[in-house]
Amino acid sequence: MSEKIAVSAQRLTKTFKDVKALDDVTLQLESNKIYGLLGRNGAGKTTLMSILTGQGYPGSGEIEIFGHAPFEHDATLSRICFIRESQKYPDEYKVFQAFKAASLFFENWNEALAQELIADFNLPVKRKIKKLSRGQLSAVGVIIGLASRAEVTFFDEPYLGLDAVARQIFYDRLVEDFSLYPRTIVLSSHLIDEVANLLEHVIIIDGGRIVMDSDAESLQGAAVTVSGNSSTVHEFIEGYPVIHRDSLGTLASISIRARLSERQQTEARELGLDLSPVSLQQLVVRTALGQPVQSETTEGDEEAKQWSV
Amino acid sequence: MERVIKVVRMQLINKWVFIGLPLLILGCSFIFSLAIFWIVREAGAEGAVYGGGAQAPMWYFLALGIQALTLTFPFSQAMSVSRRSFYLGTVLLFSACALALSIFYYLMGLVEKATGGWWLDSRFFALEWIADNNAAVQVGFYFVLMVLLFMIGFLIATIYMRWKTTGMVVFFIGLGVVLLGVAALMTFSDFWDNFWSWALTWTAAGVTLWGGAVAVVMAGGSYLTLRKATVA
Repeated sequence: MSEKIAVSAQRLTKTFKDVKALDDVTLQLESNKIYGLLGRNGAGKTTLMSILTGQGYPGSGEIEIFGHAPFEHDATLSRICFIRESQKYPDEYKVFQAFKAASLFFENWNEALAQELIADFNLPVKRKIKKLSRGQLSAVGVIIGLASRAEVTFFDEPYLGLDAVARQIFYDRLVEDFSLYPRTIVLSSHLIDEVANLLEHVIIIDGGRIVMDSDAESLQGAAVTVSGNSSTVHEFIEGYPVIHRDSLGTLASISIRARLSERQQTEARELGLDLSPVSLQQLVVRTALGQPVQSETTEGDEEAKQWSV
Repeated sequence: MERVIKVVRMQLINKWVFIGLPLLILGCSFIFSLAIFWIVREAGAEGAVYGGGAQAPMWYFLALGIQALTLTFPFSQAMSVSRRSFYLGTVLLFSACALALSIFYYLMGLVEKATGGWWLDSRFFALEWIADNNAAVQVGFYFVLMVLLFMIGFLIATIYMRWKTTGMVVFFIGLGVVLLGVAALMTFSDFWDNFWSWALTWTAAGVTLWGGAVAVVMAGGSYLTLRKATVA
């Protein structure tokens, strides 16, 4: 557990027929941090995760996990856990048999934790896996992921089909167990706001490219929405990169990428403008992923699409 | 090696698949065959009666080869098992099962002979063409046959895992073209008579050797294919 860099990927590309699933992806994941891998459906999240965990392999590029390429390397693979969103299980397996298999392969497997989670999620362990509902199937993956306590753990859209209560159980258990046994966790999601406060670092992928790779802290307050009288707003935001515009009659509401100083905030208030923070989800949707909503694209929009903080 | 053994244990978590079901298939086909032999005998049939029911569990192994791959392989990936360990563990377990079953066939063949074909002059396990050989050839013959069937299933499934539907289409069209070509060649060169008279000279030992060689080639082919197979 002494290695500082858990996962390191250099210039990964992967092409499926004519689709570029990954395009020149370079990233590093530090040990003992919780990462969010965010992006739209089809952005390349699962492809990236399966290559990083040695289940798949890139068209070109290099991956190292704790300094070793994971593909077909048992010693490295045994430190990784990645359950797919569409994970397949042997046909006749009952739920407890999947956990039994996991306890064989994951050296840090914690049976007590698995049992607690089974109770938390109300999982019928004697039922055949193919008879489970979507939510229960997700719970099986979540339990394997958490109880494996693998040094590098990937969760692929772990909340699918889980109700709000079960999702909260997952988030709480994740944070709780992480604080006891820190490890590198990657959470792929498109429910961004729901996981926002779990994440220490955010990586956003779109069209197979990394469009944002930054600390969650530095994203807090990295953008602000200014609203009020249209002409006053336009005057105020002059020169800042615009990430979103809304207008209604003489009123305008414009989100800009900026950290306003105390003085600017006071100035805004004096001008009768409203300031509100842009949530991580808004930021992601408006900047990294979204097309500019209005046709009046400014230079700021173009720039904003590739920024990193 | 440790992980190879763990793959064996994983495959055996559901003992029904590798042990229970083949025994059930064999047991049922044996009892049904005996019942048929008895009916035939009661109806006044003369001479030895033969049944091919002993093959039944062998065909199950073909399906097992496919299932081991399409469902257990994706799961083994989630268990962070390398393709190599998965392959070795699965083939190892299967070979052990096939060997055990082969020895069982041989022993049942001895009982069959000792009881005069289950007191009905019937042949279920000890078909003369095989049973007239020594023990090693008999066990080897059953073993190779089972491994061959498993490997056919395994190879087809690996091709599917690696190249998906396209792989299947290309493979079966290719296979069809090759078979058609061979048949055409044999027909136009009037080779069929020679072929059948040659086939009649086959011995169980010879078939075992050639079958073994084909199984090894297929094992190598499925391993190389699996090396780059992905789940999604």
